[in-house]
Amino acid sequence: MLVEADQLTKRYGPFTALEGCSLAVRQGEVFGLLGPNGAGKTTFLRLLLGFIHPTSGTARVAGHDCVLDSLAVRAATTYLPGEARLFRRMTGHLVLDFFSQLRRECRRDEATRIARRLDLDCSRQVARMSTGMRQKLALAVVLATEATLVILDEPTANLDPTARAVVLDLVREAQAAGRTVMFSSHVLSEVEATCDRVVILRAGRVVHEQSVAQLRRHHRITARLEGDFGEVPAELREHVTVTRDRDGRIVLETADSLRPLLGWLSTLPLGEIRVDPVGLDAVYDRFHRHG
Amino acid sequence: MTVFIAMGDRVWNTAIWRKTWGDQRGLVLAFAALWGVFPWLFLWLSAQIPMLAFQDVLLQAIPKDWQRLSGVPFSDVATHAGRVALAFVDPVVVLAATVWGITRGSDAVSGQLERGTMELLLAQPVRRRALWVTQALATTAAAACLCGVLALSVCAAVAYGPWAGKVEPGRFLRPVANVFGLMVCLAGISACVSAADSYRWRTIGVMSGFYVFSLLAKLVGRMSGAFGWVGYLSFLNAYEPQRLVGDAAASWTNLLVYDGILLGVGGVAYVIGGVIFCRRDLPAPL
Repeated sequence: MLVEADQLTKRYGPFTALEGCSLAVRQGEVFGLLGPNGAGKTTFLRLLLGFIHPTSGTARVAGHDCVLDSLAVRAATTYLPGEARLFRRMTGHLVLDFFSQLRRECRRDEATRIARRLDLDCSRQVARMSTGMRQKLALAVVLATEATLVILDEPTANLDPTARAVVLDLVREAQAAGRTVMFSSHVLSEVEATCDRVVILRAGRVVHEQSVAQLRRHHRITARLEGDFGEVPAELREHVTVTRDRDGRIVLETADSLRPLLGWLSTLPLGEIRVDPVGLDAVYDRFHRHG
Repeated sequence: MTVFIAMGDRVWNTAIWRKTWGDQRGLVLAFAALWGVFPWLFLWLSAQIPMLAFQDVLLQAIPKDWQRLSGVPFSDVATHAGRVALAFVDPVVVLAATVWGITRGSDAVSGQLERGTMELLLAQPVRRRALWVTQALATTAAAACLCGVLALSVCAAVAYGPWAGKVEPGRFLRPVANVFGLMVCLAGISACVSAADSYRWRTIGVMSGFYVFSLLAKLVGRMSGAFGWVGYLSFLNAYEPQRLVGDAAASWTNLLVYDGILLGVGGVAYVIGGVIFCRRDLPAPL
């Protein structure tokens, strides 16, 4: 495991920002952190980087303790803060120069290449850049390194759709290069399209862990019942749940392949059948809108 | 190209050194211009009042009790050296040194936290200690450069100005060294407060309050016999440039004591601030 957190807790007086957070991130995966504002995502990331110290619990990155060996953790990590603020008096070029000097393995030419891909004019002074341009500059700083772990806290915030697509491509390229990416975002479609696994945080606790590959097998079948439904065959009972929605339509959900269900469904008196993949938004809603 | 030294990077980072110089460049240039011109202007203005007239006013017209407010007897002030030394208690020098110390010191941590630039900086493999020490050294080096400008300007103005040949220029190096001590002391205390704070405006407010308290304590200590001890609460008691232009041997001894106090307080404040900064939680950008 590249990242291991064990019962990580952070309290500020009576306020608990993170409570007993245990999770593990495998080498080479893209790992998503989901949750509303204040759920503890950024607190978790900042604990990993040693910006804040845990009240209890431990965390390790690439085998290094996040408290005792923070420098080694940060050498193995590259981090994009949720709201990346850069030195206002410097030009984009000077910012890239500065950060490439701080990291031995930072590739200045790669930073320029990423800035070009993001269509960023680096000759402009940071103070004269828009919020989106500053975000692009910070992304060029962060993604130009060869750090093992890439942590991106809301990387596509403030970006236009074209730049968002480039960022997601860069994340995939980082993964293809064998790097591990931790990705926090409020845009569920991006997380679903990019991540291999996600955890959902609520009020500082990990409340759900979800494999995205497994999620892609989830389907929801909604239909109008035109006769007697009968019983679910015994061999399918473990794979399907049956409920009725407010309009009286029948809703069948399966976490496995649809194929075993299709034969049975064809025998049922159903009309207006609709088959939808169960997306991350449905899982997220379970914990945050309805939970 | 950044020089990475295996052991040196524990307390030093060349990229941070350059960045800090870039941050303070505007202030350094402005104060260098001010201190480069001020001694000439001060001496020219002073020379407009003849020495006898100045002596008459100072020794006859001003009540003797007021002498307690001065760091030296009025008879010492009413000399060419004494009048040049007044430049070092002029607001242009004292305020500039104070503004420098508080401005640069307060930027060390709370300034960068308030601007939000600390986050991405400390996400890099840079030790907090290296960041702290490098910034402190850059601030101290810039203060030394400014004092170098002040020393050159004062000595040149004394040597070639309206009172050329009447005073030995070298004796004003000691007051300049006292100005340097004041700058380092204020920068150190400000940096220490900044290390524990998250808002620069609050750091500046605390330091302004501290400065006013020190000034009042010094005045009360001088004026009141019963409350003379209050003066010892003020670090400004060690800023006495007028006492450093007299007899060379005594002045060097005084300088060692005064600058020893100022640099010592500043150094200790830097050490305490460094410990606070290295151990504290850094809040997310505000």
